[in-house]
Amino acid sequence: MMASLSHILSPDFLLRNSVYTSVLVGFSCPLVGVFLVMRRLVFMGVALPQVSSTGVAIALSVPLWLGFKLGGHPSESSHMLAFIGSMTFSLAAILILAFMERRGRGQPEGRLGTAYVAAASLSILVLSKNPYGELGWLDMLKGEVITISNFDLVLTAATLALVLATLGLFHKELLLVSFDRPMAITLRKNVVFWDVLLYVLIGLTVSMAVLSVGPLIAFGFLLIPALTAHLFARNMRQFTILASLCGGVAAFVGFSIAYQADLPVGPTDVVLLAVLYAVGWLIARILPRGSK
Amino acid sequence: MNHALITLDNLSIGYNGQPVLSGISLSIARDSFTAILGANGSGKSTLLKTLLGLLSPLSGRIDATQSSTGAPLAFGYVPQAIQFDPIYLLTGFDVALMGTYGRVRPGRFVPSAERAFVRECLQATGAHEFALTRFAELSGGQKQRVLIARALATRPDVLVLDEPTAGVDAEATRTVLEFISRTRREKQVTVLLVTHDFAAIRHHAQQILWLHQGKVLKGAPDELLTSERMAEIFEIGIS
Repeated sequence: MMASLSHILSPDFLLRNSVYTSVLVGFSCPLVGVFLVMRRLVFMGVALPQVSSTGVAIALSVPLWLGFKLGGHPSESSHMLAFIGSMTFSLAAILILAFMERRGRGQPEGRLGTAYVAAASLSILVLSKNPYGELGWLDMLKGEVITISNFDLVLTAATLALVLATLGLFHKELLLVSFDRPMAITLRKNVVFWDVLLYVLIGLTVSMAVLSVGPLIAFGFLLIPALTAHLFARNMRQFTILASLCGGVAAFVGFSIAYQADLPVGPTDVVLLAVLYAVGWLIARILPRGSK
Repeated sequence: MNHALITLDNLSIGYNGQPVLSGISLSIARDSFTAILGANGSGKSTLLKTLLGLLSPLSGRIDATQSSTGAPLAFGYVPQAIQFDPIYLLTGFDVALMGTYGRVRPGRFVPSAERAFVRECLQATGAHEFALTRFAELSGGQKQRVLIARALATRPDVLVLDEPTAGVDAEATRTVLEFISRTRREKQVTVLLVTHDFAAIRHHAQQILWLHQGKVLKGAPDELLTSERMAEIFEIGIS
């Protein structure tokens, strides 16, 4: 086990970019996941990665529809294209869904469920007509964290660093608008601006996570670490740090297990997170009240 | 009576273009204690939300500016404690600290002087003992004290309280109302308070706004809260 760990941590490890990307996504997704959990937007955490992956599928297919030829395997240009598609669809979806949520009409769960199934179906339809779908794009959408180039890693790190810095810098405004919107208005805060900023940060993180680890695993990292941390945290600082640590450590341990047992990385990570949540839930029930 | 701090001029309020109350013209004096009474659905909360800027008036005008400088009034809002989601892991101090966010620029930490001021506000409301307890775990009365401390931390011109004694027992109601009255006198703030509790408020309020069947009746408690006047308003006979 120790030999395997030192091998994975070695700078010469062939899949080192995959390790770094997994851990980056593991640390970052829970930071925005905390806001999704607090705002009771868990279903948005399911729908958004799926919509984002549809954006990837469409963005990668557009050149083919226009008659341009792309390489069979994801390259830097195609990765950038996928990022743009993912971002565009994520942001459009989150802004439309948030706008409809604010209007307060209809059923939010119904809208999110429809967005999820429609996006999933559209991805399959688009890729079924894409001759390169079998050669690499499907792996990307499934979250096979294997072929991460230096460019992908830098793009992921830069995006997530931007999200992290913005969340840290404007944490009090984002928290106020989430916790007590009327109070924020009486303090003359521009609540629409802060809402949009939060949604942009969620959209950026989801897009990056979907490109790196796929929609299912992105959803797992967005929500399960935050739910696990909520069982033990006593304040917001602990909540955020515990959630991020839980995601980051699970990403690294999950990668190690997957590498040793020759399993797919993403699903291993999510199962590990689910086990952690179940164990945490049991411990929280056993612990005497007030020890949290 | 002091000069008018807030003036409503032929105001019509409601939701989605549908008026709840129309033709409201009244003024609220500086440093006064005004209670807004009325049955459920009479428009108390709608009036409060419109005054706070949470809802736009359907027509008419609200003048809520400092007469000397023209600067907008600072409202210290105390919502109903029950409306907060317990999922937020905030302590009483965290909640009270939000009162300073209007003065602290985005991206800046709350300075230590502001933190000290919040501790003073918590001390003043008697909430300092449970300031580090999770807000969601506090009793109704304790939450109200924290929320009043938060409103005071905004350094308000007007303290606006939405049913601060809802779900609070009689003893705690008396303590909360006495504290609000004392705060008004000591800090010279104007108080606007929504309540159902006729009996408790009559000893504290100087002006009553009674919302009844789309109309706003106003007067001093001694004029409006007499048994004869109440019978007249409700169109019931008394023996």
